[in-house]
Amino acid sequence: MVEQKKILDINSVTKCFGGLEAISNVDMNIYENEVVGLIGPNGAGKSTLFNIITGIYKPDKGEIFFKNKNINYFLPHQIIAEGIARTFQNIRLFSNMTVLENVMVGRHSRTNAELIEALLRTDGFRQEEKEIQYSAKNILDFVGLLKFGNELAKNLSYGDQRRLEIARALATEPLLLLLDEPTAGMNPKESSDIMELIKTIRAKEISIIIIEHQMDVVMNISDKIVVLDYGKKISEGNPSEIQKDPKVIEAYLGTD
Amino acid sequence: MKFISNKIFLFSLAILLIIIFPIIFLRLNPYTVNIVALIGIYLILCLGLNITIGYTGLLDLGFMAFYAVGAYIAAILSTKGISFWITLPICMLAGGLMRYLLGLPLLKLRGDYLAIVTLAFGEIVRLVANNSVSITNGPKGLPRVGEKIMPIHIFSFVFQDNIHFYYLIFFFVIVSIIISYRIEHSRIGRALIAIREDEVAAELSGIGVARIKSVAFVLSGIFGSLAGAIYVHWIGFVSPEMFTFWESVFLVAMIVIGGMGNIFGVILGVFLLVGMPEILRSSLGTVFIDYRMLIFGMLMILIIIFRPQGLIPSKRRALELHTIEKD
Repeated sequence: MVEQKKILDINSVTKCFGGLEAISNVDMNIYENEVVGLIGPNGAGKSTLFNIITGIYKPDKGEIFFKNKNINYFLPHQIIAEGIARTFQNIRLFSNMTVLENVMVGRHSRTNAELIEALLRTDGFRQEEKEIQYSAKNILDFVGLLKFGNELAKNLSYGDQRRLEIARALATEPLLLLLDEPTAGMNPKESSDIMELIKTIRAKEISIIIIEHQMDVVMNISDKIVVLDYGKKISEGNPSEIQKDPKVIEAYLGTD
Repeated sequence: MKFISNKIFLFSLAILLIIIFPIIFLRLNPYTVNIVALIGIYLILCLGLNITIGYTGLLDLGFMAFYAVGAYIAAILSTKGISFWITLPICMLAGGLMRYLLGLPLLKLRGDYLAIVTLAFGEIVRLVANNSVSITNGPKGLPRVGEKIMPIHIFSFVFQDNIHFYYLIFFFVIVSIIISYRIEHSRIGRALIAIREDEVAAELSGIGVARIKSVAFVLSGIFGSLAGAIYVHWIGFVSPEMFTFWESVFLVAMIVIGGMGNIFGVILGVFLLVGMPEILRSSLGTVFIDYRMLIFGMLMILIIIFRPQGLIPSKRRALELHTIEKD
C-alpha cells in the first residue's frame, strides 16, 4: 500500500461549554484523498468538532495541524484560505444573491482585487472578474446548477440549495471539505444524487469528512468511520469493523 | 453588448438632464435650483450611508456625525484662509479616520446594539460641537463674527451663485454614483452583500469579515464628510443644530423608503423625502411643514407593511451564463 500523507491532524482536542465537555480529548487523522464518515448520536459533538476545525470555536486543549501547520489561532477565513471548506447543517446561503454570485463569493479568498482597483476598473481587476465568473460557472456546471445561475439562491429547491452550498465551498479550492449532513431531509433519490456528487468531488483529490445519519449512505461512501458519543471518540475503523463494534452498537441502541 | 450601450445611453441622458435643468429653471423659479442642489447634498450623504446600511446591512443611526466632522473641519480651515481644494481632502481623511477608529470597537457589535451606539455617537459629536466653544463657537456656529468662509476658486473662477454650487455638487453626486456602482459589482461589493446576508457563512466562505466591514464603514464616513465640506462652503455657515438625531433618522428613512442597497432606490428616496416637502409647501402652503414628520412616519409604516424592500428593491445583476466552452 502506498503511504498516504496526513493532511489534518487533530491532536487530543478538548472543548468545554461551561462545565460540559462538548469535545473531550479527541484524536483524529485525515489523510490525503480520504473520505471519513463522522457519526454518533445527536449531541455527540460532531458539528462542534467541525466548528473547532474551521476556527469558529477555539479548542481549550490540544492542537489542530493542517498540512503540518498549527491552525489553532487562525481566524475562520484564514483557515478557509489554507484550504478547508465546509457546508452547514442548516443551509446558510446568501439568500438574496444570485446562485452564480453565491459561488463567486466563494472565490474571495483565491482572488485579491482591492477596493481601489475596483474603483479604477484596472485591467487586472477586469481580468480577475472574468476569471471569477469563469470558474464560478464551471463549478456551477459541475454540480448541475448552471441553468439556475441567475436565480436568487432562496428560490432554489431544498436539494439544490444543498448543492449550491457544496458549490460555494468548492469555489474556495479546498483540500479538505467538511460536509455537515449533506443529505438531511432528502428523499432517497436526492440523497443518492448527492452521494454521486460526493464521489465525483473525491475524484478531484479532495479529502472529505462527512457527518451523516443515514447509515447505508455513510457506510457506502467512507474509507474510514469515526464514532463520537458524548464528546468522546468511542471507535474508529473501516465500515465493516464499525458495524461489529459492541461500543458503537451500545451507543446507538443502548444495552439491557 | 446591447445592455452596456443602453446603460451608457441612460447615464448620458441623466448627465444631460442635470446640465440643462438649471438653465431652464433658473428663469422660471431660481429657488428650484437651490432645492435640487440640496437634494444633491443629501444624495452624496445617502449614497455613502447606503454602503453601510444597504450593502453591508449595518444600521447606523448617527451618520450626521460625519457630516458634522466634515462641515466643522472645513469651516475651521476655511476661515483660516485655506483653499477648498486642500480642505476637502483633509476633511475626507479626517472623516474616514474617525470612522475607522469608531469602527474598531463598534463593528464587533451586531444589529440593534450597533444602531444604539452609533446613535449615541451622533449625539456626542453634536454635544461636543455645542460645548467646545473655543473651537466650534458653540451654538452660535461658525464662522464667528468678522470671519468668513473662503470662497471656492478654480483658477480665477469663483463659486458664488447657487448655480455654481449646483454644478459642483452634482459633479460629486455623479462621482458618488459611479463609485457606488463600481463597488456593488466588484469582489469587495459581493463580500459586503454576503456579510449582510449571513455573516458566519461569509466568514466561512473565506471573507475577512472584520476588515471588509471596516472598509465599508470608513468609505461611508468619507462620503459623509465630503458632503459636509461642500455644504459649509455653499451655505457659508455651520451650527450644531444641523446635526440632530432626527437628521440621521431622516437619512435612514430615505434609504429604507427608496430601497436599501439599490442606487436608483436611494436616489428616488432622497428626491421623495427632500423634494416632496418643498413641492407640497409651494402647493399646500407652509402649514404642511408642521405635519411633515407625521406624513414621513406614516409613509415609513406603509412602506414597511406593503413593500419592505423599499420602492425600488435591490436587484442582483443577471450575468451571461452560456459562455462556458466545453471540450
